[in-house]
Amino acid sequence: MASGPARVVFTSGFAARYTNGVREFDVWASNMRQVIKAMDDMFPGLGEHLEEETTLAINGEYHETGYFQPVPPGAEVFFIPRIEGG
Amino acid sequence: MNDTAIVTDSVKRFKWVGTRPIRPDGIPKVTGRAMYGADLKLPGMIYGKVLRSPHAHARILSIDTSAAEKLPGVKAVMTAADLPAQKFDYIGPERVAVNFWHVTRNIMAREKVYYEGHAVAAVAAISNSIAEEAMALIKVEYEVLPHVIDVDEAMAEDAPLLFEDMITRGITPAPTKPSNISKRLEFSMGDVEKGFAEADVIVEHEFKTAAVHQAYIEPHSAIAKYEADGQCEIWSSSQGHFAMRALTAQIIGAQLGDLRVTPAEIGGGFGGKTVTYLEPVAATLSKKSGLPVRLMMSREEVFRASGPTSGASMWVKIGVKNDGTIVAADGIFKFQAGAFPGSPVMNGCLCAYAPYDIPNQRAVGYDVVSNRPKAAAYRAPGSPISAFAVESVLDMCAQKIGMDPLAIRQKNACRIGTPTLSGPKHAHAGYLETVEALMKHPAYQVKLGPNQGRGVASGYWFNGGGESSATLQINADGTVLIATGSPDIGGSRASMAIMTAETLGIDYSQVRAIVADTASVGYTHVTGGSRVTFATGTAVVNATKTAIKILCERAAMIWGVDPEGVIWDDGFAKPAGSNVGDFKPLSLKEIAGKAAATGGPITTSAGVNAGGQAPGFATQFCDVEVDPETGKVTILRFVAAQDVGRAIHPSYVEGQIHGGIAQGIGWALSEEYIYNTKGLLDNPGFLDYRCPVASDLPMLDAVLVEVPNPTHPYGAKGVGEVCICPPMAAIANAIEAATGKRLYELPMSPPKVLEALSA
Repeated sequence: MASGPARVVFTSGFAARYTNGVREFDVWASNMRQVIKAMDDMFPGLGEHLEEETTLAINGEYHETGYFQPVPPGAEVFFIPRIEGG
Repeated sequence: MNDTAIVTDSVKRFKWVGTRPIRPDGIPKVTGRAMYGADLKLPGMIYGKVLRSPHAHARILSIDTSAAEKLPGVKAVMTAADLPAQKFDYIGPERVAVNFWHVTRNIMAREKVYYEGHAVAAVAAISNSIAEEAMALIKVEYEVLPHVIDVDEAMAEDAPLLFEDMITRGITPAPTKPSNISKRLEFSMGDVEKGFAEADVIVEHEFKTAAVHQAYIEPHSAIAKYEADGQCEIWSSSQGHFAMRALTAQIIGAQLGDLRVTPAEIGGGFGGKTVTYLEPVAATLSKKSGLPVRLMMSREEVFRASGPTSGASMWVKIGVKNDGTIVAADGIFKFQAGAFPGSPVMNGCLCAYAPYDIPNQRAVGYDVVSNRPKAAAYRAPGSPISAFAVESVLDMCAQKIGMDPLAIRQKNACRIGTPTLSGPKHAHAGYLETVEALMKHPAYQVKLGPNQGRGVASGYWFNGGGESSATLQINADGTVLIATGSPDIGGSRASMAIMTAETLGIDYSQVRAIVADTASVGYTHVTGGSRVTFATGTAVVNATKTAIKILCERAAMIWGVDPEGVIWDDGFAKPAGSNVGDFKPLSLKEIAGKAAATGGPITTSAGVNAGGQAPGFATQFCDVEVDPETGKVTILRFVAAQDVGRAIHPSYVEGQIHGGIAQGIGWALSEEYIYNTKGLLDNPGFLDYRCPVASDLPMLDAVLVEVPNPTHPYGAKGVGEVCICPPMAAIANAIEAATGKRLYELPMSPPKVLEALSA
């Protein structure tokens, strides 16, 4: 089991729009609420964009972006544009 | 059908999961008694009709409805002026970033009409014939504008502009001139140029696919009944009545709580019924007339005005080493969005190379508007389009290095931990298993004759999760009702009943599964994205587990013991151990019969935002025979291996795969929108828009590969979409194997095949 902060990763397009092009961040968090809050603290308003525009992958597992998902130590938390099927 | 199942796990077998009971909605459907959108009639109901644009592109100078309003029998006439203005803003997720400024203009044109069939006005009258007469009395003055249909032509510098102020998003710095390119996307990983430098063989080519319609048999229909107190009821055929409620509320300016939407039985959707066309119009006409209003599209209207999927123009380049290792892949994917922004090009980019472990990848996408109906979702939206190009080029690579097409896929198959272009690493297996299932399939070794060829292709789809709800009731006689908010398109009532019966340990025949309206069950996202068995199934199992907890508590009360002293086992409450006491197990029926005495009705609900869905992987091969005189391609054999997680009801899983293949064959060989020089659709009907029929199809062999998804209570994965990704390339590859000629443009209809043969 990995330990340490979660590695938060954005797509280049998302990063260009909202995080001055920086794609990766280390965040100490045990759930997604804490991840979103930490990112919103760094970039005020970013939390709303994350909730509205992204799908989440925690260690490759896809989820809708929400507060309740647990974040294991050392997890890779990837925000990607939301996917919609047919 | 010659379907087979391959089970890769050795966990315990189930009582109901994996069995094939008769579907609950089967008898009403085969006896013609199921209530589809057009079947419902309400007292005092009147009939709506939509006036549509005869032009591909025109400015609306004026609309005069006065004569229509005066016609006896006409109860209401509406135009876009009856709908509130919407803010220009892309709201919500990227792929479905809904801009209601666009959506309301697609429902009813305002300044311009953007495609033939674009709604301009609507009337409601006491009969269809009066409504039609009234439509003829509406005077619309147009200034006809130049039009553009093809995606490459729409991207040209001198193309007629649909929106004079559209600046391409996704380019820095932003362009200074408007264009028809709504958005540019780029995804990359590794170093593509360096990767190609390491390749022994590089293949690149351009491809085109045609826009194709979802071709659901039931046209769109809706009934709305707007009351004087502002409450509105809607009955409609859609893939999601909660989505219809939300879209309609926004378009007409109502609150969600004022709308109640009841799902009609649905005669196919395939993604095309996740968007609204008629509900806001019916609601507005009902509000204006004070009467229930029914609207129904004709087949021509379905073709002219409802969403097909995008056609596309693409370029793909793949580099491989002589041992078959793929070292780099690059592609440009230009998708038609139709008249308003929003094609599935992002999905096309992200799915393009997803089955493979390729260190260096790039995909550039363009979302392009043109004078066609707005594109709508169609099974795995975007993925089948890019798969046609990528899987064709991969086949060409395999051929150049003399490698079997399944072997090259096996060598490069993604595994758990393989990086993807979308960013996250693959968290689930399943792809390699589909390839190896076909390698072992006896039909793959069958020798073919003259003019015959075999083609292989693979596909990937994300699959969906998200919000779903379920409500469970236990009746006094021990029967169980499970209600969900997921319209049943592919047998979901049966799978929900199976999961309920399995969890409770009772007989399947004791469970009734229904689809409840928006006022009777919690919010549930659309039946789309291959999400229902996974997400709604999780809600069903959660609601059932809560019911089991209550049943144990009720049994404890009957026995006079602590609830912790009771367990649920195979449909019975039993003492957890001999220390609890010597009690005869209580059946669900026995506990239900004591419900009043033990606390009242037993009813539970569950709402989930389900995550951890596993993606869909599919690999297929087909054998074709090409008639060298006519160019006709006959499909001789089609074998489709798909990772299904665990098949809850195998017949409906196979049905999804059969359907995906059949639609893929149509996409490959015969389906296309044909526009004339005026930008008008020349084939808006099933006679001229040629879908495959049963006689066009061989036996379809669905091979169910079961690699269970650990995040679903029974291991289910979405199965409804990925099956349509491989067929177009598989058929193109087979035609090449049969004739030595490769086709790069869909559909591969007889004239195009003949042209290729004579080249």
